[in-house]
Amino acid sequence: MEIFIQQLTNGLAVGGIYALIALGYTMVYGVLKLINFAHGDLFALGAYLGFTLLVSFGMGGAIGTGPALLVIAVMVMGMSALVGYLLERVAYRPLRKSDRLSAVVSALGASIFFQNAIMLIWGAQYHAYPAGIIPNLTIQIAGQNVPLIRIFVLVCSVVVMLVLYLFINRTRMGLAIRASAIDQGAAKLIGIDVRRVISIVFMIGPALGGLAGVMVGIYYGQINFNMGQMYGLKAFTAAIIGGIGNIPGAMLGGLLLGLVEAFGAAYVSLAWRDAITFAVLILILVVRPTGILRERVAEKL
Amino acid sequence: MRSTSILALVGIALLGCASAVHAAEPVRIGVMGPVTGAWASEGQDMVNVVQTLAAQINDAGGINGRPIEIEVGDDAGDPRTATLAAQRLVSSGVVAVVGTYGSAIAEAAQGIYDDEGVVQIATGSTSIRLSEKGMPLFFRTCPRDDDQGKVMTAKVSEMGYEKIALLHDNSAYAKGLAEECKGLFEAAGVDIVFYDAITAGDRDYTTSLVSMKSKNPDIIVFTGYYPEAAMLLRQKMDMGWDVAMIGGDATNNTALIEISGTAAAEGYMFISPPGPLDLTGPAAQSFMKTYQEKFNSVPTSVWSIMAGDAFLTIVEAAKNIDEVTAENIGDYLHNDLKNFPGFTGDISYNEKGDRVGDVYRLYRVDGEGVFRLVP
Amino acid sequence: MTTNQRKILAAIGVVLFFALPELGLGTYWLGVLNQVGIYAVLALSLNIILGHAGMFHMGHAAFFAVGAYATAILNTHYGVPIFATIPVAGFAAGLFALAVAAPIIHLRGDYLLMVTIGIVEIVRIALINDIFGLTGGANGIVGIQRPMLFGLRLTKPWQFFYLIWGFVAVSMFLFRWLEHSRFGRALKFIREDVVAAEGMGINTSRCKLSAFVIGAVWAGFTGTIFATQMRTISPGSFSYWESVVLFMIVILGGRGSQRGVLIGSFLVIGLPELFRGLQSGRMLIFGAALVVMMIFRPQGLFPAPRRHYNLPEPYRDKYL
Repeated sequence: MEIFIQQLTNGLAVGGIYALIALGYTMVYGVLKLINFAHGDLFALGAYLGFTLLVSFGMGGAIGTGPALLVIAVMVMGMSALVGYLLERVAYRPLRKSDRLSAVVSALGASIFFQNAIMLIWGAQYHAYPAGIIPNLTIQIAGQNVPLIRIFVLVCSVVVMLVLYLFINRTRMGLAIRASAIDQGAAKLIGIDVRRVISIVFMIGPALGGLAGVMVGIYYGQINFNMGQMYGLKAFTAAIIGGIGNIPGAMLGGLLLGLVEAFGAAYVSLAWRDAITFAVLILILVVRPTGILRERVAEKL
Repeated sequence: MRSTSILALVGIALLGCASAVHAAEPVRIGVMGPVTGAWASEGQDMVNVVQTLAAQINDAGGINGRPIEIEVGDDAGDPRTATLAAQRLVSSGVVAVVGTYGSAIAEAAQGIYDDEGVVQIATGSTSIRLSEKGMPLFFRTCPRDDDQGKVMTAKVSEMGYEKIALLHDNSAYAKGLAEECKGLFEAAGVDIVFYDAITAGDRDYTTSLVSMKSKNPDIIVFTGYYPEAAMLLRQKMDMGWDVAMIGGDATNNTALIEISGTAAAEGYMFISPPGPLDLTGPAAQSFMKTYQEKFNSVPTSVWSIMAGDAFLTIVEAAKNIDEVTAENIGDYLHNDLKNFPGFTGDISYNEKGDRVGDVYRLYRVDGEGVFRLVP
Repeated sequence: MTTNQRKILAAIGVVLFFALPELGLGTYWLGVLNQVGIYAVLALSLNIILGHAGMFHMGHAAFFAVGAYATAILNTHYGVPIFATIPVAGFAAGLFALAVAAPIIHLRGDYLLMVTIGIVEIVRIALINDIFGLTGGANGIVGIQRPMLFGLRLTKPWQFFYLIWGFVAVSMFLFRWLEHSRFGRALKFIREDVVAAEGMGINTSRCKLSAFVIGAVWAGFTGTIFATQMRTISPGSFSYWESVVLFMIVILGGRGSQRGVLIGSFLVIGLPELFRGLQSGRMLIFGAALVVMMIFRPQGLFPAPRRHYNLPEPYRDKYL
């Protein structure tokens, strides 16, 4: 029971982080049919930006820990969004009309670039997030001590996902994004500025990724320059499991992946954990070739 | 493809011209380390340490009047890149190479240095078999996995622990050490209640900790690296599980405390060669001061200091032989270098090229988050 | 330039290239060329799957690994001579490809890409965990012999240069033949339009699967050469990132184009070597260079020329 509760909460917290990153993959894919391989490194960049802000401004001070954290999170999201916007302009827009695999290689190049840029700017060593941002408390769930921070991470990601869900489904911009994802040509015809939609998507995705980076920093306390590769791969897996291009799918996929990892490691084998995760992915796709919630794009028959 | 090769030819020609200009023929020494890739911080420290030392020696007149030239070979922590780095270093005419960090990487390059007759002194590659191949020009300043295993199991038994949870991270180094410890513990009749691996870079080890706790060990022996050790300590405390933990030399890194927090790390033990800040000799301390002034930081781990020691023994050998060739350096290191005062203690090499002597010390983290030597 | 002149120039280029060791190219650059050659063969074999059949396959290192480990295990445990392990390595890789690809071959585009990444990761983790007790775990296998050829043991980089680039030449020749065969044309049809290809009576899944297996067999052969050249192999050499590198080579060069794939190998493997002087900044520049090259040559550096058919004069303008 102890293992079960600990793994459940842990899996959900990690899954929430995966889901946030996966949203970036899936939104970009929905509109552009592009796998943005640099997304994982934008996530790492967010973690480093948050690190610098936390270290230089300190926590609390005049406005207290909560608001300060919020301000820093918003700043990181803003900066990540800017980088995402620039990335799209420089590396992807010129390739809009080309074969989409060309954009994939461009994305891989951008990924290498960002990873090494982080290394050159911040150094190759691990950096420690300031400790004790979230008080080191535990709460009781079904008789087990669960760290507060785990719940905090899960709640944060769920709130952000809800906001995003409302944005996509209840606003005009959200409507435009959905329309562009279904048919860009038709979206243009009815007066949607698809180019702007793409820019917006490329700002929202990295903003969420950057936020996830800060959350990882706070949750685990340490960051390093190549963390984006592993998280990126996992989040991409989550997006695929849910059905890439499908926003609720990415959320579901992320949480599911977190749970599969946690339980696989606990009940099957730690050393084989990632192999189990990928095996589950393959099984899911063999049974449902376009993900659990299906991809939301019109396909040529 | 033709233009690339022509470029290459031109490059080689230019290199040739450049070296012909020098009056006093320099002694070329290579540093091979992971300057890029996942272990970049180790590689960059290695290069910084060796280059700083080389500059000091050159200022003091070099090797019997000959300046030292350092060639850097980035192996990126990848065997394939390492073979190219090694070939490049060999082609650039080095007599000896310092490095590298990882065992699998050192192994990939080893054959090339052996074929081409270049001295290699590994600095962080602790895998046993590296020195068991009878390669006459292979040395290392770092201890071997079995040394560490012996010290580790001895210390753990000495302290009276009886139920061991043994954990590694599946890296070549950590797994090798864990297997070594497992064998020794079993031979000593100590009960291993848990044996498994975590995945390095994961950041979340609650799973492992929870399964471990259900086996009720009285000490966790973790053979992996410091980022994971720090996370284990932190998450162990978050769970409210108060159990002793001891680690190997890869956790000897001041960043451990930063990551885990002082409270979580207090009482954590590890065995290691002395860390950069525990070096007691005057030479070591003055060097650390110079280094700090130059780079605004201290090396994060002891392995780059091992690179410094490797470099110093090469220089020592080169100073004391008539003709600076790889073979003569190798002979000198094997036979004539006795108790050379290095930064990490006295250095001698045995016939296999392994460092002789007990390098390991036991450390414990005190209430202020400082690594204290346990006498 | 007429076709003949071009052919003569190309021939001179090839002769010059093969004379490089004789022209005094240094060991290091020979080593670089050898690795370029190995990646070129791997990329050529991936090209069948990714370039011709159009399947997004980002797990080619898995088949390479199976071949390399087959050779390493046979050679070190059972003393089988290196060249005798080649067929086994190819067969093992092919069989493995058949087993893993059959259930996933129908997956579309990016789903196939993710699954193939999953496969290469599973293989790597299995190797690290010392599967069957044969793979040596994370340290890998050491002490693989150098190959014997006509009583001569190949040890020097220039000997490997001829072995590897000879293999590149043979591969190019065979793959060119394959490309123009009935099977090769069917693959292209599938890439352009699966539904239409199916409609014309092509058994698309079988063709796709065959492409996968052929590519895998060839990657297995290359594994043998890699293992004997490195003499020690460890799981780190067969990571997902190696598959990404191969993927980049094919797309950067121009998929479906042998010349392109060859140039791609030179750039992707060679450029980081050329940038060594930049030390820790070299991969940054390499990443930026990839983006720039893609922007300026979105179709790849040397896209495959469209095949020309000799139509009677009056139709030429109309159809081409």
